[in-house]
Amino acid sequence: MTASATELAAVEYFDGRSARAQPVRLSCRDAELRIDGEGVQLGVPLRDVQWPERTRHGVRVAQLPGGASLHCADAAGWDAFARACGRGDTAVVRAQQSWGWVLASIAGLAIFIAVAYQWGLPWAARAALPLVPQTVDAAVGEQAFESIEVHLLKPSQLPPARQQALRAAFARAVAAQPAGSVPPHRLLLRAGEIGPNAFALPGGTVVVTDELVELVDDEVVVGVLGHELAHVRHRHGMRMLVQATAIGVVASALLGDFSALLAAVPVWIGQAAYARDAEREADADAVRFLRNAGISPAVMVTFFERVRADAERRAQERARVRDGAAASAPPPAAAPVEDRTGDARSDDRSWLGIAIASHPADAERIRYFEAEAARR
Amino acid sequence: MTDPSFDGAPTQAMPTVTMRRDLEVRFSGSGSEYFRIWIVNLLLTIVTLGVYYPWAKVRRLRYFYGNTVVGEHPLGFHADPKTMLRGYLLVFLMLALYSVAGNFSPLAGLLAFVIVAAIWPALLKSSLQFRLANTSWRGLRLRFRGTVGGAYAALLPMFVPALVIIAGVAAIPDETQPPDWYVLVFSGTFTLTLLLAPWLWWLLKKYQHEHYAYGPERTALNAGVASFYGVFLKTVLVTMLGFLVFFAVIGLTVEAGGVAGFGRGGEGSGKLFAIVIGVAVALVSLFAVQLVPRPYFTSRMQNLIWSRTASTNIGFASRLRFWPYFGLTLKNWLLVVLTLGLYWPFAAVATARMRLEAVRLQFDVDPQTLADQGRAGEGEAAGDAAGDLFGLDIGL
Repeated sequence: MTASATELAAVEYFDGRSARAQPVRLSCRDAELRIDGEGVQLGVPLRDVQWPERTRHGVRVAQLPGGASLHCADAAGWDAFARACGRGDTAVVRAQQSWGWVLASIAGLAIFIAVAYQWGLPWAARAALPLVPQTVDAAVGEQAFESIEVHLLKPSQLPPARQQALRAAFARAVAAQPAGSVPPHRLLLRAGEIGPNAFALPGGTVVVTDELVELVDDEVVVGVLGHELAHVRHRHGMRMLVQATAIGVVASALLGDFSALLAAVPVWIGQAAYARDAEREADADAVRFLRNAGISPAVMVTFFERVRADAERRAQERARVRDGAAASAPPPAAAPVEDRTGDARSDDRSWLGIAIASHPADAERIRYFEAEAARR
Repeated sequence: MTDPSFDGAPTQAMPTVTMRRDLEVRFSGSGSEYFRIWIVNLLLTIVTLGVYYPWAKVRRLRYFYGNTVVGEHPLGFHADPKTMLRGYLLVFLMLALYSVAGNFSPLAGLLAFVIVAAIWPALLKSSLQFRLANTSWRGLRLRFRGTVGGAYAALLPMFVPALVIIAGVAAIPDETQPPDWYVLVFSGTFTLTLLLAPWLWWLLKKYQHEHYAYGPERTALNAGVASFYGVFLKTVLVTMLGFLVFFAVIGLTVEAGGVAGFGRGGEGSGKLFAIVIGVAVALVSLFAVQLVPRPYFTSRMQNLIWSRTASTNIGFASRLRFWPYFGLTLKNWLLVVLTLGLYWPFAAVATARMRLEAVRLQFDVDPQTLADQGRAGEGEAAGDAAGDLFGLDIGL
């Protein structure tokens, strides 16, 4: 500590009531900051001084109790003086000033986000889910169903006998399940513009389209329904909502300042990955559901093959219609809703990477069901 | 009375001769330094589940204010993070109630909207009061002298259109099949709001810029509503022009791509085409709202408002040019996207620099002589938090 460092000249004092600058010199003595100038004689306890944070550029401004302040344009001189007065930087400032700490912060942030994304968020969503009453599921599901029903669905065209048979097969399978493993649900048969499809909504509404029922045997439909019931049972829809909200909050903390549009991207990408996990979980449940009902999981393999064949047929039809330039082309049968169990195009999108597609690739799921079928 | 030749004493040498002095605004912040502040703030905010946010905000504002040098003196920011935390909790609670209410029933949503509308102007007023009372230059705090009544007069017209639409939703029996009158009311209100938008914006800015005070100086906004309509109209024209140019470029690209891809044909080129179209649509929407109209509107509005803001002895002039600002916006977007957001602090500093350094102040009085006129209220931190959440800003 040199003697000169405990003194600092060329400082401006402002009393906080006027904009008049008064030249003063500072010195540091006995835990007190002395301020001396023409008409200014002050002593302020060091701990009452609000010191400026060290930055690379800029005038140093210290706040004194009562609204007065000290300005010093000589940043280096000020910093030396502050150090001589025994004033160190806070931990946060030290972190901000060192690139090492900054790199560590980046790494910490990345690790934190990765861990939270991989384990923290799903765990938190699972923990928070019991706090959300089932009535909320029902209300959300009902609302979603109404909007889908109006725009995309029509009453089923299947003959009553066929509907009866399917419901009976499903009821038999449900009755064969262990008590308590089947959540409350209602099965609806609908026609519509969504192709061979089935989906479950929060609250227990499960919808199967006529096209799916016509495409495969009842046993297969039962397998698909087992998959959908798993979504209901694990409340995947609500969990997704909770997780999307959480990702949204973090993303907007990261990017919201800049653009709400960019901040929405992680929600979309993050959702897709969680959705795939949910599909895997539901597939595993579907296998159990089928076994309990005495049906081989191999029926699900048939399901994927049929759906794929059907999609190819439709594509060829569309191509023919396009080439033939027919005026009354049927609308393309592809409108993704809540949960497309049969998505025959997954393979085409593999180049987009595992993060974006919302379902595991069909090939992977077929392998899974084949392996399960072989295990029995 | 006395002979004027005797008035040579130094104290009376220059009594009323105004000495005009121009003060430049300089921004001394650096991107790399703000990057370090930002990343540490971010880590602490996320790790503390948001509790650190007010501290982060104070650090950020202190950095930006402290590097905004007017003449030779920087601005200061003095808010206490602990007060702000309380404000944030309050506003967060309010916002949560508000967003939950809409899910229950349209009527509850209407009620929540009315409540928010009823307290929002008071929050705005205290937000401005809080922000300015915690901002200083040359050791002297700025003030906001607007009244609560003035805030209501300025803001309530903004809520009328939304109120009409929400009330309509609450009144109709079935949301999926709105009756004809509702469609009429909705489109009518929508059109009217569009036509009135410049006037509503003018009301808000007038309220803000008529009540800034520094010592005895108090600002006024000498811009009529017609000038606001001018800026809005020109923004619409520029947007359309931007669209035209952009579509022309895209059209040529697709044309070229289509011709090149035709030889191969088949499904592959169709898919490629769909991807190109998808990317193009995303780009157009980005371009349409973010890249052209926003910088244009921001620069023109800043110039209009700040050049017409003046107090008795202090005037402002802003000359923010569109093309450099547009170029900067484009560059910022590109780099932020390419670096997955890490460029953002650099972008924020560069934007602040360009916008702040476009402003000059003219003093007809020596700043040394300005003094505060008694203490005014400091406003509520809750207001500041509300301003934050609803995206309110001083406009610089």
